[in-house]
Amino acid sequence: MDSMIHDMAERLFRDHVSHALREDAAAGHCPEALWTRIEEAGLHMALVPEEAGGFGVPAAEALRLVRIAGAHGLPLPLAETLIANAVLARVDLALPGGRLTIAEGAGLRLERRGTAVHASGPLTLVPFARWADRIVTIAALDGADHVLSLPVKDLTVAPAQDLAGMPRDDVKVDLALTEADAAPLPRSLGGMRGLGALVRSLATAGAMETILSMSVEYANDRVQFGRPIGKFQAIQHYLATMAGETAASRTAAEMAADSYDTPAFALTVAAAKIRAGDAAETVGALAHQVHGAIGYTQEHALHHFTKRIWSWRDEFGTELDWTRELGRAALSSPQGTFWHFITDSTAQGTPA
Amino acid sequence: MTLTAFPPPPPGADHDDLRQEVRAFLAEELADFPPEKRAESWNGFSRDFSRRLAQRGWVGMTFPEEYGGHARSALERYVVSEELLAAGAPVISHWIADRQSGPLILAKGTEDQKHQIVPRIAAGELCFCIGMSEPDSGSDLAATRTLATDVEGGFRVNGTKVWTTYAHVADYMILFCRTGKSEDRHGGMSQFLIDLKATENIQISPIIDLGGEHHFNQVIFDDTFLPSDALLGEKGEGWSQVMSELAFERSGPERFLSSFALIEELIGVLRQDATEAQQAEIGRLSAHLMVLRQMSRSVAGMLNEGKNPALQAAIVKDLGALFEQDIPRLARSLVSRPAVPGGGDSYAAVLAYTALAVPSFSLRGGTREILRGIIARGLGLR
Ligand SMILES: Cc1cc2nc3c(=O)[nH]c(=O)nc-3n(C[C@H](O)[C@H](O)[C@H](O)COP(=O)(O)OP(=O)(O)OC[C@H]3O[C@@H](n4cnc5c(N)ncnc54)[C@H](O)[C@@H]3O)c2cc1C
Repeated sequence: MDSMIHDMAERLFRDHVSHALREDAAAGHCPEALWTRIEEAGLHMALVPEEAGGFGVPAAEALRLVRIAGAHGLPLPLAETLIANAVLARVDLALPGGRLTIAEGAGLRLERRGTAVHASGPLTLVPFARWADRIVTIAALDGADHVLSLPVKDLTVAPAQDLAGMPRDDVKVDLALTEADAAPLPRSLGGMRGLGALVRSLATAGAMETILSMSVEYANDRVQFGRPIGKFQAIQHYLATMAGETAASRTAAEMAADSYDTPAFALTVAAAKIRAGDAAETVGALAHQVHGAIGYTQEHALHHFTKRIWSWRDEFGTELDWTRELGRAALSSPQGTFWHFITDSTAQGTPA
Repeated sequence: MTLTAFPPPPPGADHDDLRQEVRAFLAEELADFPPEKRAESWNGFSRDFSRRLAQRGWVGMTFPEEYGGHARSALERYVVSEELLAAGAPVISHWIADRQSGPLILAKGTEDQKHQIVPRIAAGELCFCIGMSEPDSGSDLAATRTLATDVEGGFRVNGTKVWTTYAHVADYMILFCRTGKSEDRHGGMSQFLIDLKATENIQISPIIDLGGEHHFNQVIFDDTFLPSDALLGEKGEGWSQVMSELAFERSGPERFLSSFALIEELIGVLRQDATEAQQAEIGRLSAHLMVLRQMSRSVAGMLNEGKNPALQAAIVKDLGALFEQDIPRLARSLVSRPAVPGGGDSYAAVLAYTALAVPSFSLRGGTREILRGIIARGLGLR
């Protein structure tokens, strides 16, 4: 079952996510037909429990879809929809179907007005908001986290985009929510920032694997001075460096995915986001160095991937946010026990 | 892309009970062991310590019980190894034997060799050294010139090995040398198990490192006679034997924890009040360390399953060396205190020791450039 959905996703994206489709999406066109195929395959439900309509695959396996989507530069909110559905299912809110997205709700104000809850305030740089039916977010009401399911049609959306041209819209919220659209979150899943950071780390790892294989292929094909540039040691060492960085961020992202919904998640996701950001710096720069001028064009596919990994660095907590957070935790370990902090933070815990 | 896939260590790899036992043991053993000694990391030598560790069953852990081992998994061994390194315990006396020589003898040795040597390794009694590098054969190991020729009852060896860590105290050397001619650059090589205390005509002389310390040596073989049962494994198969040792040699926690004493000092200084910028740098360091550990444990898991993760090991060593080499720079960027060898406060002394140690991290065990060449080949660069 696990590898079946991965194979299915791999095939679907290979057949349908082309350079042209990514170009088109970056120009503002939502690839509706591709989304229909994704829904038909049920990929968007992979992270919800079986009783809520999922496949019953372990979370880490479901999350692998995000790495695969990243490897293809999928210009659709699959990762966001996976997380949104999982969060809604966790609090027994209806799974509305369609494209969903997620946002950090720190800027929202919730107040009770009679039986309804009034939500107001901004949500900034919301991924794919204008292509989504609903935004799922988490905000505080009476001092406790609540999950909100916000219909986009009732919100004000001002379009903006990330470096890769993907929608990252500014949204104004001002509406009354019924019980059908708001519910208390009993146990934290890591917050929207953590969940968003998780999927961005996984997607970064996938995108970097594609960048690496594109770069290796190019180095084997491109001839200068009478031989493939991949024969030059400087180029070989760049590619080896890219492989190490890619491996590290994939390991980091998978470590976070493996601890999804466990107490270890808070720190592993920080490590994953930080490591992905560091790797994005090196891998992006070296990939462009290896590709020469052709890689700096719109015509070449490389930029869709490098621009994505550069954008994702800043999303759902910048590197500075995450390094400070992890650093504060590390420095609060008692004298002489930093090592214990490291082993505890990467412990697997007891297997479920 | 299998090169970039590091499967998570198998469930239960934490071995928490074992970890707590080791921590308790180390807390007692090393109660008065000062930071500047801990800074020596796995270069610290103490036969007594190795023996006491062995008494607890923590040397030769993965060896079969038949040979004095404890038949435990590579992941249990990993737990002990990383706890030793994090504590800065003096482990070199048994480290090489436990890590690679013992497993090599178990894999390739005769029953006699296994029964004679391996139980003593597991008892923490034997120190091994590695005789690979020569004056004209460093990265290019296949350029080895030291030659063992067949003679009545054994071999006669002539040649010079260098940089042989702890040869001056070691009981045994595993020698890599030429035993014949071959068309193939990698052919005609063999390995020998040499009893350094009982073999004549071996001259071991110190080479002092830039920190003024005597760790490595020059070892001259001058018509040295080795009995035929000193041959380890197949004659002519030395190259492939050596290559299979490398995944063990390159992926362990010693490839990213060599500067750990300085990390503890640094965090000790910053713990009281750190600026946001300092917190962020410690966060970045923590993230890298968490991930390196996961990668290294992943390789241990692969080794445990009998796979040969040589490429993944090369990646761990390359990334690990970058990490551990960067710690003195990081410390200096966060704390304004000069390095003072043997200096008054432990931070200054540990910084001084570590600053002088780090250049060797991307040389020993295969240079950075050689590792990257291995990785590049693994990527399929034609
Ligand atoms: C602290 C320490 C302990 C050691 N302990 C031992 C030991 O116990 N036993 C033992 O046998 N050896 C030991 N060594 C030796 C170690 O294995 C060698 O230093 C290493 O293999 C490099 O060889 P070399 O020093 O001769 O450098 P060289 O091979 O001469 O290399 C010099 C430089 O040239 C580069 N270079 C070489 N070939 C290439 C190439 N093809 N492409 C690109 N660059 C290249 C290297 O990467 C390096 O940067 C130890 C070394 C150190 C520093």
